[in-house]
Amino acid sequence: MENKKFNLAQEIELVKEDCLRPTRKWGRSTQIWLGILCCVAAWGLFAFIHQLRHGLGVTAMRNYVSWGLYISTFVFFIGISHSGTLVSAILRITKQEWRRPITRSAELLTFVSLLFGGIMPIIDLGRPDRVLNLVIFGRVQSPLLWDVISIMTYFTGSTVFLYLPMIPDMALCRDRLIVTKTRFDKFRKRLYTFMAIGWTGTKTQWHKLETVMTIMTIVIIPVAVSVHTVVSYIFAMTLRPGWDSTVFGPYFVAGALYSGSAGVILGMAVFRHLYKLEKYITPRHFDLMGRIVLALTLIYAYLNLNEYWIPAYKMATHEGFLLRDLFFGSYSGVFWTLQFGTVLLPIIIMSIPKGRQILPLSITCVIIVIGAWIKRYIIVVPTLLHPYMPIQEVPADWSSYFPNWVEWSVTMGCLSGIFIVITLFSKFFPMMAVWEVEEGLEIEHDRQVALEMKKKREMEKMSQEVTVN
Amino acid sequence: MKSKEMKTHTNIFRKIAMTIFAIIIGIHFSVAQDKSAATEKMGTSIQLAFHKKADHSKWISVKVSAKTKDNKRIPAVNAHMNFYIQNKDGQKIINKCATNNEGKAEITLQKDLPVDTGMFYTIVAKIENDDQFENSDEIIHFRDANISVKFHEADTNRAVTALLTVTGSDGNEKPVKDIPVKFYIQRMFGNMAAAEDNSLNTEATGEATFNYPKEIPGGTTNAITVIARVEDNEQFGTVETSAVVKWGEATPVEQNPFPRALWEPYAPPSLIMVICILFGGVWSIYMYIFYTLYKINKEKKFSA
Repeated sequence: MENKKFNLAQEIELVKEDCLRPTRKWGRSTQIWLGILCCVAAWGLFAFIHQLRHGLGVTAMRNYVSWGLYISTFVFFIGISHSGTLVSAILRITKQEWRRPITRSAELLTFVSLLFGGIMPIIDLGRPDRVLNLVIFGRVQSPLLWDVISIMTYFTGSTVFLYLPMIPDMALCRDRLIVTKTRFDKFRKRLYTFMAIGWTGTKTQWHKLETVMTIMTIVIIPVAVSVHTVVSYIFAMTLRPGWDSTVFGPYFVAGALYSGSAGVILGMAVFRHLYKLEKYITPRHFDLMGRIVLALTLIYAYLNLNEYWIPAYKMATHEGFLLRDLFFGSYSGVFWTLQFGTVLLPIIIMSIPKGRQILPLSITCVIIVIGAWIKRYIIVVPTLLHPYMPIQEVPADWSSYFPNWVEWSVTMGCLSGIFIVITLFSKFFPMMAVWEVEEGLEIEHDRQVALEMKKKREMEKMSQEVTVN
Repeated sequence: MKSKEMKTHTNIFRKIAMTIFAIIIGIHFSVAQDKSAATEKMGTSIQLAFHKKADHSKWISVKVSAKTKDNKRIPAVNAHMNFYIQNKDGQKIINKCATNNEGKAEITLQKDLPVDTGMFYTIVAKIENDDQFENSDEIIHFRDANISVKFHEADTNRAVTALLTVTGSDGNEKPVKDIPVKFYIQRMFGNMAAAEDNSLNTEATGEATFNYPKEIPGGTTNAITVIARVEDNEQFGTVETSAVVKWGEATPVEQNPFPRALWEPYAPPSLIMVICILFGGVWSIYMYIFYTLYKINKEKKFSA
């Protein structure tokens, strides 16, 4: 027993060290990586300023395609943001022990994708200074206003949901930080002290934290589902071929969960490799997450079938124009590649146990995430190019759309912004919830002790029976 | 060893500098070529139209289109134009303007412009020495016509008569015949044709009489503005007049024009309530969480 206790304490210490190690040094590779990202972000900012100065006319968007790459990316980012809810909240609520090392990265992915996802419609507005008008003069009946409110609610909730389990870890960082005389260390000390909100780990503090975490875990799930449902309403409540659908709410939620959980697997693979977390994020985690993504892909495939098969069966006039363009026309190549390459192929790969090993699963998830992005584009753009009123008496190039350098630069700037925040976060805060992993170890230890005790008791019982006989 | 390394470095830097220099020269030449291409002037086509309103204000509208290299017609933006009045004494400049983004512009005409012997005005619009466009011109001849309306009411029949006249060389007004006059009724967002066939030719007396249709809403004051207009005539351009008559059907003011509904400006209370309950519920939970965090922070002081 004594030996076991000693091992547990040693193991907990090892967990703390492994989790805090990446926050202690900023290697050259990190600096180069951040430098590249900052260059891309600066270029994106330049393109955005260019757009601000000269108006949305500098983009490829025109009267007919007024939602292009920006809104497609917005829907994609909101979808990715479902990852944190699924992995963290659902697995927490169902008491899945294996979730412990991966919750933080999932919650972080939610936070950053929402942060930048929320920026995309503001960029698309062309006049960001008028964004408040949406709230001040917005119509309560408009899904656009619901979207603004629900994204703000979800963003606040996700931030709280990310922050709550960080409090004990912040106290750990605060207590373990060796303060040198550098300004940077002093800043870190102040940051950790502020974020730890005086955490000393008393019983009452633990009790209160656990209570609010349970509440947040329950609350964040319907909020997350509502957000993507409302995003789908922006499309579904507009009378346009391709969007006029009753299945759009669940279709968007399923699509979001499918791409979001694939995003979590990618995050797991990257952090596991970069921060040497192989001991904690094991092939078993990938196998289990692969099963989840497989289930979600099957649900998504089923809804996809409903979304296209039912209107295709009827081929009503305007829906028919759009569907013919998607199935056999200018978008057919992309459409069928998406259906077979990013839905059917991942189902086949993930159905095989070998396909759920780290490398093949990570490659599959890259395909899923890129596919999900292109799918949002396919939902937004072709519909706008097939309005009920025919496109006429306008310049020829208004009847087609492909994003130009301004849109690509701004979007890439936002994407690099996501990576900057994730990189900085991982350099300031532990990427695994230390106390949660510790708790997992303790539970595992107690289980083993209980198992040993049970074995011992059974042995004693058997020996007693043998003596009686 | 060190000097060898230095040499290699110098060579690399030299190569990089040469490449950058070549790129800059390349960009410079391509930009220069673009600039020379941009300075090629485009040919234009000018369209002129004369307008006269009920208040006797007169103006000329211009629409200029340019021909691109690939024979496409585009609006001639910012084309600088001069306008001349032409008579037996020659041409005299009367106004200047530049076209807008749609290639359009307007100039107001003075009242005392000289006319020729046939009582016609001749205006010449010219693009002269413009940076973007080749020199071109267009002439418009027009005669100043006057139009007025009178209203007649007998029993239940109502009629509007438009009288079209021109000023003769002796200064007297003379009727003009066989000119189509169109009748409109002014509405909030534009002019409505007074009937399906709202065009009538003037008779020898210069008059065109139009039977006023019944049951045209006239708002709360019953007032209707009738417009009589000669449109795009070769001699007279566009000439119009308007007059107000109380022939409109009274329409009662709606007490509640926008009842609360999903499709109206104001949302139904049930929707507002649902949204407030849903989001209010979530935000109150957030508030509780912030309060608990505050209490966790307070705990520090007690434990200290």
